[in-house]
Amino acid sequence: MYKALSRITIIAILCIFSLSTSSVAAGKVSANHVDIDLTKMSSTMVYSMVFQMVTEPKKFIGKTIKMKGVFSSYQDEETGRRFFGCVIKDALACCSQGLAFETAKVRRYPNDYPDEGASITIVGTFEFEKEEDGIGFPIIKNAKLYK
Amino acid sequence: MIDTLLFYLDFPFVRYAIIVGTLISLCSSLLGVTLVLKRYSYIGDGLSHVAFGALAIAAVLKVTNNMLIILPITVTVAILLLCRSKDTRVKGDAAIAMVSAGALAIGYLLMNIFSTSGNVAGDVCTTLFGSMSILTLKPTDVYLCIILSAIVLVTFVLFYHKIFAITFDENFARATGVNVNFFNLLIAIIIAVIIVLAMNLVGALLVSALVVFPALSAMRVFKSFFSVTVAAIISVICSLVGILVAILAGTPVGSTIVAMDIVAFLICYLTNFIRNRRV
Repeated sequence: MYKALSRITIIAILCIFSLSTSSVAAGKVSANHVDIDLTKMSSTMVYSMVFQMVTEPKKFIGKTIKMKGVFSSYQDEETGRRFFGCVIKDALACCSQGLAFETAKVRRYPNDYPDEGASITIVGTFEFEKEEDGIGFPIIKNAKLYK
Repeated sequence: MIDTLLFYLDFPFVRYAIIVGTLISLCSSLLGVTLVLKRYSYIGDGLSHVAFGALAIAAVLKVTNNMLIILPITVTVAILLLCRSKDTRVKGDAAIAMVSAGALAIGYLLMNIFSTSGNVAGDVCTTLFGSMSILTLKPTDVYLCIILSAIVLVTFVLFYHKIFAITFDENFARATGVNVNFFNLLIAIIIAVIIVLAMNLVGALLVSALVVFPALSAMRVFKSFFSVTVAAIISVICSLVGILVAILAGTPVGSTIVAMDIVAFLICYLTNFIRNRRV
């Protein structure tokens, strides 16, 4: 009983100690140089990871991300720029979020892109694009798009 | 599977979820037995709905740290519900039902009328069912949870005997000099703090399960107040297994934890059933 309690205490101390190490544990680098492969994670983990990427983008800048989701596009009426996104849903399917991406190869919209809502996989480098007003957004650049 | 789990544990937010999940389940189970024996099993549900209403108010007022609004409102309502005179016209269960439904309705109404987000349905769903809240915690949330949990645990350990006394017989406790009103007030404050913390883990609609299931499971097997300790162990194990299953299988965290609590209850129920048949 006391041994079990002491083990639990040690684990608890280790967990609390781990709070001080807030570095992002990146995925292991594989042969095709993907730092964080979201396609190999459960939907719960994918949603949480994308949340981390959106809220704390600095930790992920420069890392190669691979993710699978649903294709979505949006045109900014003021600038005329069209954004492309890879959208994922949470386990309850009530919330969705996504990452914008920019393909490495120049493509024409809509002919060279999949239909809205189609399943896609993207691989690219995570960057944070700052806008003129100082606000920015995370984006996957030099992305390879797989339909 | 072990490799996948170890890989996931490498991420800070998964470790935060495990720490917070363990602490919340530990705290919520401690008062479970007291609330069940005092016939206040449903108070968790009522207070979590109040916390939901308070969250809506915080969102409308655009308060950055919504805890500043949620905690005082929930504590106040908990005190009003638990420390009322027994002669009041609206009795305990009716008062909880009234507050529960009323707060939920007002909260949803406020979120719709004064929407600050583009996805009201998503916000409501996340608050009610927990969704990913536990896996999207920031270090400050974790520290706050550690502090509040420590306060709850220390208070419970310090006043264990008094809480034990007023749980079983308030009149006897009063006759022996225990300040019953003060300890009822203390229980009300502690349960409000636990409910607010537990909303992060399982969401507003499932909070009751964290309070009631471990207590009922332990009470199937043990007939003394020792069941509080067993309830705490059951609760922590169910939460840990629930979180790990949720991240491995991609299921919603809150409902997976509650499913584990149901399994534990069924095991305890069967154990008790088999033991009684042998005797």
